[in-house]
Amino acid sequence: MKFDAVKDRLIAEAEQAGIAEYEVYFMESTGVNAETLKDEISSFSSGVGGGVCFRCIVDGHMGSASTELLTEEEMRALVRRAVDHARYIESDEKAILFAGSERYATPSVPVASSADAAELKALALSLQRKVYAASPYVADGTQTAAFAEEIRMELLNSHGLRLSGQGTVKGVYVQAVVQKDGESSDAFDFTLESEGAALDALPVSTVAEALSKLDAKEIESGKYDVIISGKEMRSLLSAFSSVFSAKNAQMGLSLLKGKEGEPIAAEGVTLVDDPMREGCPMQTAFDGEGVATYRKNVIENGVLKTLLYDLATADKAGVATTANGQRLSYAEPVSIRPYSFYLAAGMIGEEELKQRLGNGLYITEFKGLHAGCNAVTGDFSIESAGYVVRNGKCCEAVKSFTVAGNFFDLLREVEALSECVKFGIPSGFTCFGSPDVLLRNMSIAGK
Amino acid sequence: MMIQQSLLEELLGVAMSTGGDFAEIYAEHTRNNSVQFLDRRIDRITDTVLSGVGIRIFCGERTVYASTSDLTREGLLACARSAAAAMGEGSAPLAIRLSSVAHADAHPVRIDPNAAPMKLRTDILKSACFASQECSELITQVQGTLLGVDHEILVANSEGLLVQDRHVRTRIVVNAVASKDGENQSGGCAPGRGMGLELFDLYDPAEVGRHAAEMALVNLRAEYCKAGQMTVAIENGFGGVIFHEACGHSLEATQVGVGMSEMCGKLGQKIANEKITAIDDGTIPGAWGSVNIDDEGTPTQRNVLIEKGILKSYMVDRLGSRRLGLPMTGNSRRQGYTYEPTSRMTNTFIDNGPDRNEDIIASIEYGLYAKEMGGGSVNPLTGAFNFSVREGYMIRNGKICEPVRGASLIGTGSQILQDIDMVGQNLATGQGMCGSASGNVPTDVGQPLIRVKKITVGGR
Repeated sequence: MKFDAVKDRLIAEAEQAGIAEYEVYFMESTGVNAETLKDEISSFSSGVGGGVCFRCIVDGHMGSASTELLTEEEMRALVRRAVDHARYIESDEKAILFAGSERYATPSVPVASSADAAELKALALSLQRKVYAASPYVADGTQTAAFAEEIRMELLNSHGLRLSGQGTVKGVYVQAVVQKDGESSDAFDFTLESEGAALDALPVSTVAEALSKLDAKEIESGKYDVIISGKEMRSLLSAFSSVFSAKNAQMGLSLLKGKEGEPIAAEGVTLVDDPMREGCPMQTAFDGEGVATYRKNVIENGVLKTLLYDLATADKAGVATTANGQRLSYAEPVSIRPYSFYLAAGMIGEEELKQRLGNGLYITEFKGLHAGCNAVTGDFSIESAGYVVRNGKCCEAVKSFTVAGNFFDLLREVEALSECVKFGIPSGFTCFGSPDVLLRNMSIAGK
Repeated sequence: MMIQQSLLEELLGVAMSTGGDFAEIYAEHTRNNSVQFLDRRIDRITDTVLSGVGIRIFCGERTVYASTSDLTREGLLACARSAAAAMGEGSAPLAIRLSSVAHADAHPVRIDPNAAPMKLRTDILKSACFASQECSELITQVQGTLLGVDHEILVANSEGLLVQDRHVRTRIVVNAVASKDGENQSGGCAPGRGMGLELFDLYDPAEVGRHAAEMALVNLRAEYCKAGQMTVAIENGFGGVIFHEACGHSLEATQVGVGMSEMCGKLGQKIANEKITAIDDGTIPGAWGSVNIDDEGTPTQRNVLIEKGILKSYMVDRLGSRRLGLPMTGNSRRQGYTYEPTSRMTNTFIDNGPDRNEDIIASIEYGLYAKEMGGGSVNPLTGAFNFSVREGYMIRNGKICEPVRGASLIGTGSQILQDIDMVGQNLATGQGMCGSASGNVPTDVGQPLIRVKKITVGGR
C-alpha cells in the first residue's frame, strides 16, 4: 500500500471504530553509503524504509501504535492496538492533538537532488586516495565514506491539519589510521560539503591529527585549566541535552526544575535552539505534533529563559509549547528534543583563547559519554585525550586521562568561548554545536 | 514463511546475476512492545512492528547491501536489482535452489510477552516500581519499562540454505532517583532473558525495584571518588563489561579482519594472565544474548576465546571468515534488516578462577570496590577503553568502607588483561545492549569478582 491508500484505510478504520480524535504520522527514509578500504569500494549499501504511526484519544488518554507493514489487515490491527493501549494509560498529562499554527516558515535550504550512487563511489574513492597520499604512515584499516540520507514525513489529524516536510543530509567522513614504529593511532572527521575548501582540507587535517596523537604521553593526576574543543563540547552538550526537557524537569529528573528565569550559567553563555539554522541541511517548519517551530534562546547571557516543551508539558506548566515535541522516526513516540542546539560564539579567536589559558590542556577527544555522563545528577567522568598547552601554544599529545565534573557547575564556570561554532552531523532534525570553551581548575585523573 | 520460497530463489538469482560469488536474503518481522511507568503511573505504551528485507552480495571481500520495507514482489525485485547493479554489470539471473533446514529450539517461550494480557504486564511493572518508590521517602521518582520483543527471521542464501528462527526476549528496567538538599542521585536494575514473562519466576519484580532504590540511596550518601591509579576489585554480573569493552570488541573479526584491532595476529599467544579463561557462548538456554542461529543462519556455539591466558579464537562472521581464512563461529549479528551484519558478541564472560572472593577483598590495602558497573566504550585499534562505576566503595586495609560516586575506569585492553591478577568464584552475568556498526544487539556480560592490580580511576 502507498501512503495515500494507508491514510485512507486508517481514517476509515478510525471512523468505523467511532474514534473522534486521531492522528496519522507517516515517515519514509532512503539512505545510500559508499565505503572504501585500501584502494576499492569495499561496501556499498542502500535502504528504503518507511512506516506509519496511528495515535488516538480514548477517554482522555492517548493511545499509539506503529508499523512498517503496510497491509490492509495490519491497518485494522494498528487502530485496534492504539485503542487498547489508551485504556491502560494513567498519565495525568492532557492528551492533545493540535489543530494547527497560524503560519509555518519555509526552510531556507533548497531540496537536495537524490543521491547518485556512481558519484558517491567516486567521491569516496577520491577521498581515500588523498588520505593515503597525505602521509607515508597511513595504514590499511583507513576508511573513507560518502553518504546521503533523505527523510520525508506527512502528518494529518482529525482536526483537519495536513502537513508535509522533508530533509536531506549528504556528507563524507574519513577514518584515518596511521602506524609508525609499531604504534598505531587514528582520527575521525567529516564534512557535509561535497565540494570546496572543507572537503579539500579533510584528508590532510584528519591524517595530521592521527599523526599528532602518536607517542602521546600520560599525565599526572591533578587540577588543570583546560580548553574543551568545540567538537567535544558539543558532544557533552548532547549528553546533557535532556536536562533542558520540561518533561524531565516536571518529573524531577532534571535539576533545572523551577529554574526558569534564574541565572544558571556564566554571563557569557547563550544557548540557542534553532530549527531553521542557516547552513543546516536538516530544517523543519513543524514539530512531531504539527506545531510551527521557531528559534529561541534557551539560556541568554547566563539566564535560563525557557525549558523545551511539547504540547502536554506546556499545558501542565500553563505556558505555550516551544514546538520541541519531535519524532525521531515513525516508530518513536513524541519526545522533547532540541533542533540545532548550540552554545553561541564568543568574541575571541581560538589561538587567543589558548593564550588566555596560558598553561593547561587542550581537550580534543572525549570517549564513552553515554556511560560517563549522568543527566539526573549532572556528574560526568570521561575518558579524554588532547594536548598540553604551554604559554598559550599547543605542545605534545597526551592520552589516557579522565576529566570529571558536573555539567551545571561547568555552565557556571565557563570563562570564555571562542568565536567559531563547530556543528556535528544532524540526527533527524537535531544537531549540536559549540565553540571552544575555557574552564579553570578541572579534575583530571591520569597516572 | 514471510516470503514464498520460489520468490526467494528468484531474488537470489537476480542478486547473483552481476558477478557476485555469494548472495543472501535476510527477512525480519519483529514486534516491540514496551510499557513505561513514570511518576506513579503507567505513562506510555509503545508498540511497533518492524518488517523488511536486506539483500547482501559478496564478490571476494567486496560487499553490497540493499534493504527495503516494501515486501511486495515488485519492491523486493527492485531491491535485488539495485543491489546487483551496485555490484557489477548485468547478465542472466542464475538458478538457485533452496533447501529448508530445521533446527532445534533451545530457547522455548512459555508466556509470550506480547500476547499476555496487558493487565498482567502493567501489574508486574507497577509491582516493581511501587516497591522501589516505597523504599524511602528520599526516593522522589521511579521510571520503569517492561519490554517484550518477538523477533522472527528468515535467512536464505545462494549456497541453498533456507532457515528460519524466532527469538523472544523480555526485560524489566527500573531506574530510581533519590533526592536530598537539592541534589539528585540515581540507581538502576535491569534484568532480562531470552524468554517470555517466565522471567519473573527468576526475578521478583519488587526485588528489582528495591535494588534500584537502594543503589540510588547509597549514592546519595556517597562522596565523590578520588582520582588516581589504584587497585580495583570489580564485582560479578555486569562487572563483566570490563572484558566486553577491554577485549571482546577487539576479538571481533570485523575489526581483526581489516587490521583495526590490537589483537591482530595474536592467536596462540599469551595475551592475558593465566588465571583468565574467557568464553563467548550463544547457546546458553534462555540467556539474554543467546540465539539458535546467527543472522547469517549459522548455528551459535560455545567459543573459548582465551584459555588460561592464551588467545584461542576470534569471533568470526562470513565476511571475517573470508578475510581471515578462519571458520565462522556463529557470531554474525545485526539489530535488524536495515543493518549489514558484522561479527558481534553473544554471552561473553570470564570464567570462574582459582581465588576465594574474601581473599580478593582482603588483599587490597587501599583501593576501590566497584560493586555495580555502568556502560563503556572502546577503540579496538588502540584498545583504549572506559566505563563507569554506578555503585562503588573504598577499600581500606582489606575491608569494604564508605561508598563513593562519580567514578570511571580507563585503561587499555592488552594491559588490563595482564593486570587482572586475581579471579574469584562467583560467576554471574548482567544484561546490556551493545551498540556497534550493525546496530544495538542484546549481549550478556559476566565474570566472578576480579582484582585489577592497577588501573586509572577517574574522579575528583
